[in-house]
Order: sequence, then structure tokens, then C-alpha cells
Amino acid sequence: MLIENMAMAFHAIRANKLRSFLTMLGIIIGIGSVIAIVSIGDTMRTMFTDLYKDIGITQAYVSYGYWNDDWRQSDYFTLDELELIREAFGDEIAYIDSNASVSTEVHAGRMSMNFQFQGITERYMDVQPVNVIYGRYLNEGDLLGRRKNVVMSAESAEMLYGTENAVGRTFRTTIYGYTDEYTVIGVYKKEMSPFQRLMMGGSSDTGEAYIPETILTWPNDTFYYCHVFAADSADMTDFMNRLKAYIAKIKDRNPQDYYSNTAVEEMGSVDSVMGALSAAVGGIAAISLVVGGIGIMNIMLVSVTERTREIGIRKALGARTRDVLIQFLTESAILSACGGVIGVTLAVTLVTVLGMALSLSVVIRPAVIVLAVSFSAVVGLFFGIYPASKAAKADPIDALRYE
Amino acid sequence: MFDQWRKKENEDSVLRPECEDLIRLDNLVKIYDTGAVQVTGLDHINLTVRRGEFVAIMGHSGSGKSTLMNIMGCLDRPTEGHYFLDGIDTAELSSDALSAVRNRKIGFVFQSFNLISRTSALKNVELPMTYARIPRQKRADRAMELLELVGLKERAEHMPNELSGGQRQRVAIARALANQPPLILADEPTGNLDTAASVEIMEMFSEIHKLGSTVVVVTHEENIAAFTDRIVRFSDGRIVSDEKNPNPAEGSGRIHAGKLYAPREESEREEEEGC
Ligand SMILES: Nc1ncnc2c1ncn2[C@@H]1O[C@H](COP(=O)(O)OP(=O)(O)OP(=O)(O)O)[C@@H](O)[C@H]1O
Ligand SMILES: [Mg+2]
Repeated sequence: MLIENMAMAFHAIRANKLRSFLTMLGIIIGIGSVIAIVSIGDTMRTMFTDLYKDIGITQAYVSYGYWNDDWRQSDYFTLDELELIREAFGDEIAYIDSNASVSTEVHAGRMSMNFQFQGITERYMDVQPVNVIYGRYLNEGDLLGRRKNVVMSAESAEMLYGTENAVGRTFRTTIYGYTDEYTVIGVYKKEMSPFQRLMMGGSSDTGEAYIPETILTWPNDTFYYCHVFAADSADMTDFMNRLKAYIAKIKDRNPQDYYSNTAVEEMGSVDSVMGALSAAVGGIAAISLVVGGIGIMNIMLVSVTERTREIGIRKALGARTRDVLIQFLTESAILSACGGVIGVTLAVTLVTVLGMALSLSVVIRPAVIVLAVSFSAVVGLFFGIYPASKAAKADPIDALRYE
Repeated sequence: MFDQWRKKENEDSVLRPECEDLIRLDNLVKIYDTGAVQVTGLDHINLTVRRGEFVAIMGHSGSGKSTLMNIMGCLDRPTEGHYFLDGIDTAELSSDALSAVRNRKIGFVFQSFNLISRTSALKNVELPMTYARIPRQKRADRAMELLELVGLKERAEHMPNELSGGQRQRVAIARALANQPPLILADEPTGNLDTAASVEIMEMFSEIHKLGSTVVVVTHEENIAAFTDRIVRFSDGRIVSDEKNPNPAEGSGRIHAGKLYAPREESEREEEEGC
């Protein structure tokens, strides 16, 4: 009987294709937007996880809180203090630096372009491995000697010199008001997805290079941030608390005076932004599902009236109240579920095409699709109750006489 | 083959009795209350139709023939009086029980055919069997057989609007026979048909009747009534005459409905109390 009912439902839906489609629109939009936003959310989340894994999930910054107004000169960090911290935490700290970076214009021959110089120590390779394709990475000598050597990204080298093998080439630039000549001692390549590039803010016309941090901390070796990579991401909160406590101790401050920011926390904020977005779209989807459901109820009422005679015939031939009820409930559930399927198809297509355009791998959970289609069927079922019971209660003789 | 369905039918207590008097109308009154005026459709009707009779109901327009047919078909309820169908007092039945009675005991043939539109002839014939919960394959086989017997096997997949009036009425007859009901009710079955098609339809009823079915036909035309063996005449909601037709018109013998309707064996009948 269920199969008959389903066949009848498809029959009725096909008999009025345009009307059925228009009726489904609300459901299509509702389900479609739910699927789209959930997929986009899932995709973004996976991407951010990858991204943070790449830039270092254990990465953290500490500085003296901007909210304090009794700022002292001694609140700046020094290289010696970084060394102290490293020694105090031993293996727990994978890397520590001054988070120095500078953006400036460089000149090589007749070529000029903007560069972003990141001040690092030779150990940065441990936490952010790159593929050095020409020359070498920065070493301890570069750091201690404050040598004007840089390791440049292959793309930047290509742009600046027209060749990736730029080892030995030089350029002039002005850092902190001092114009000097710098030498490229190595060229690296880093694999990144376009999305990562986008998120890293590395627009393609700005060059990137690593520079000894000691050049950027010069002359007095004080700086505002302490930038660390913990060795283990397992308990960042505890690590950060102890780190702040230690810093407060050596600085003769209170631990709560320190501001800190970890990659994990930032990820959390991405999640909460996505959560808020999902809630907003979810709300819109819920409204459109209710509107869609009312649309289905409306068209089912029209359909019941149009088919009064058919209902009369069915009753005359032996259909019970229940038979007619189930027939129309099935029809409205299937009508709505079809809308759900179309909505899912549209959303999946849209998200996939979008993903392809941005060359991202899209995350679409089958469970979400199954849930969405089932939910649309439930919407149809719910809004079909009134029209179906109206049809089922029809008196056979009145229904047969209906013109 | 048909025995199995009969067994199923017997399971349902409401449907069990099998009485000699298939129809018994007891002081039946039907009043239509249209608010402003009350129209008397039937005025104290007493009528008994025995199993196996072929009855014509005649009378001028508005005399209450359709009203009577609707009540006999359990589509409508009388205002007063009792209607016993096969010994069952239909007044006591719920609307779902009446659906079951219509499904198993009555086959309808209407003047306006009343086939379900945009639904194939085959599916239309299957419909009463669907509601009798007969398995799909059996249903389809039997529907095809019935269509073959009314000469429409090739039209099985046609929609009603692709068939002529006479063909539609033949589909309706096939559908009426689907569950082998003891009673066939036809309200002006030839009203929308030309003479040739009308005769063909009446020959079918004649065949069905010969095989043991009880057939009640409403008609305006004497030559249609001539096929029956009893003619009841109505006027203003009352029976004005009720006479035997000693020489019912014979079918031309073109239609062999032998397989259409398996007659019930005398031995199978159980005498029920209250019949
Ligand atoms: N639903 C209804 N509401 C009010 N009055 C009705 C209704 N149905 C029938 N009647 C009235 O009952 C009377 C009998 O009607 P019925 O339809 O039984 O006549 P009939 O003999 O079938 O006529 P015809 O030969 O024209 O079909 C008529 O006066 C009619 O107006
Ligand atoms: Mg009539």
C-alpha cells in the first residue's frame, strides 16, 4: 500500500509539474541554504584547522597588557630575557623569538618592490619547515653577527631578479632609517593552498624573506612581544599560565597584567564566528521552511478540493478514512522531500562549483544531507495533516456530487 | 483462484452473512434538508431484492431513483427506516465499516463513469482490489483478465480521456466486478451512451446476472429495462408499481462473461440468523 501511495504521489506531483515546483520553492531554498551553510562551515573549519596546523597550532604571543597604564621601560622584552625563558621551560618551548617584522621597499638594479621581512632565529626552521632550494638557511652566525643576509621565497626572487636562483644577489633597502645592502644567501619554497595564501595575507606583489631578528631588534634589543611555539599542543592553557607567571616573576609584575593570544584561541573565535553565521542562516532557513510548509499546506488544500470527486470515487470503491489520509499525507511528504532533494542538489552543486573555483576541497557530510531530506519530509508530513484529514473526512456522497 | 479472496472476505465478521434477501428496505425515508425547504427524496419505501435478481428501477426525473441507489450503495444514510444489506443493518456501521461493505459487497457503475482521471484503465480496475489489500501481482493479473473480458485488453494502459464513453463504461464494469461483489448497482449506466453501446453494456449486465450476481439498474428507457426480470417504478419518492418481466431480452451471446464472475456455490452459503 505504501508503494501504491508513493506511486500515486509521484503521479500527482508530475501531473502538475510547474505548480509542484513552485510549491517546493520554500523548501528548496530552506534546505538548500542549510546544506550550503553547513558545508561552507565544515569546509572553513577544516581549512582553518589545516591552516593553523601549518602556521603552528602551538603558536602564542605574550605582551604586557595594553590595558595597564603604568607602562615602564622595563616592560619591553629583551633578547636576554627570551634566553632566560627558554632555559626555564627547556624542551617545553620549541621556539621563541621577538616577533619582529618589517615591511619596506627594496631596490635591486632598476627593480623596486615591497617586501615583508620576518625577523627569525635560525631555529625557526624547526617549527616552520621550508624547502631551501638554493643556498642555505639563516644560521647562528647570521644572528649573532647581525649579518645583513636574507633567505627569500622563490616567488619573490623570481619577481625581484627574474630567477629563482638568487643566491649571492644583493638589494638595497632602508630599515629603521638606515639604508644598507643585503645579500640573498638562500631561496626557499613553501607549499601553500591558495586559501592559505589568502589567509596569510601574502598578496602576490609583496616579496617575502626571512631576516635575522637581531637586525630588527637592533640597536637596543628590546621589543614588545614574546613569540613562542610550545612543543606540545596538549595543554596550551596550562602552558600559557605558567609562561605568564614566569614572565611576571622576572619582570616583577602580576601574571594577570599580561596579555596573551594563542592560535588555539583564535581558532575558537573562527568557530564562534561560524557558529553565529550558522545560527543566522539557520534562522532564515527555519523561516523559509515554515513558509514552504505553509505553501505545501495551501497547495494540498487546493489539490484536495480539485480532487474531491476522486476522493468520492475512492471512498465509493472502499477506501477507508485512513487510506485517504495516508494517500494525501504521503503526497505532501513526498512533495516536500522532493523539494528537499532539489535543495540539497542545488546546494551541493553550488558549494562544489565554488570550491572548485577557489580550488578548495569541499566538505559535505552525508549525514547532513540525509537529515535535511528527512526533515523536509517531516515538514511536508506536518503541514499535510490538515489538508489530508480534510480529504479523509469527506462524505462519499457529497464528494461524488461535487462539481 | 477466486476462493482465496472469498476466504479473506469471510474473515471480516461484518461481511460474513449471506442471506436470500440481499436487499431489504424497511420503511425507508430520505429527507434532504436544504435549510429553507425540506425535500422528500424517498417516502416510506419497502422493497426486498432477492439474491440473483435483475431489477430495473424506473421513474420520471426527480422521483428518487438516485437517492435510493445511493442508500443501497451505502454512500448515503436514510433519514428514517432501516436498510439491511445481506442481513446487515447498515445503520449500525461506522463509515469505515461502510467502506469495507462497499468494497466487498457492492460494485458501482455510474452514469458519468467516474473513472479516476490521469490514471490508466488497468489502475482504475485495480483500485477496489487495492483497498481490499490484494497483493500487487494478483491484482494486476485479475485486472488484466477483467479488461480482456470487457474487450479492452489493448487499452489497459490508456487514460480515461483516451477512451470513448462506451469503453469507459466497460472499464467501469470491469472495476465493479473486481472484488466479485454480490451486488452490482448501476445508476443510468447507459445514460451517456448511444443505442449500440447501451445494448452492449446491458448484455454485459445480463451475463453478469446469469452468473449469479444481483444487479440493480436505474434507467429511463423501456428497452433497457427490458433486459431485466423485474421492473420497479417510482414516482415522487414512492413505489408505484413492482412487476415481473416474464420475457427478459436476451443478450446476443457475443459476450461470454463466464470467467468474469464466479457464481457462488449453494453449499458455501451459511444460513445466518436475522436474515
Ligand atoms: N443533495 C440533495 N439535496 C437536496 N435535494 C436533493 C438532493 N439530491 C436529490 N434531491 C432531491 O431529491 C429528489 C429525488 O432526487 P433523485 O436524484 O433521487 O432523482 P432521480 O430519480 O435520480 O432523478 P433523475 O432521473 O433526474 O436522475 C429530487 O427532488 C431532488 O431535487
Ligand atoms: Mg438520478
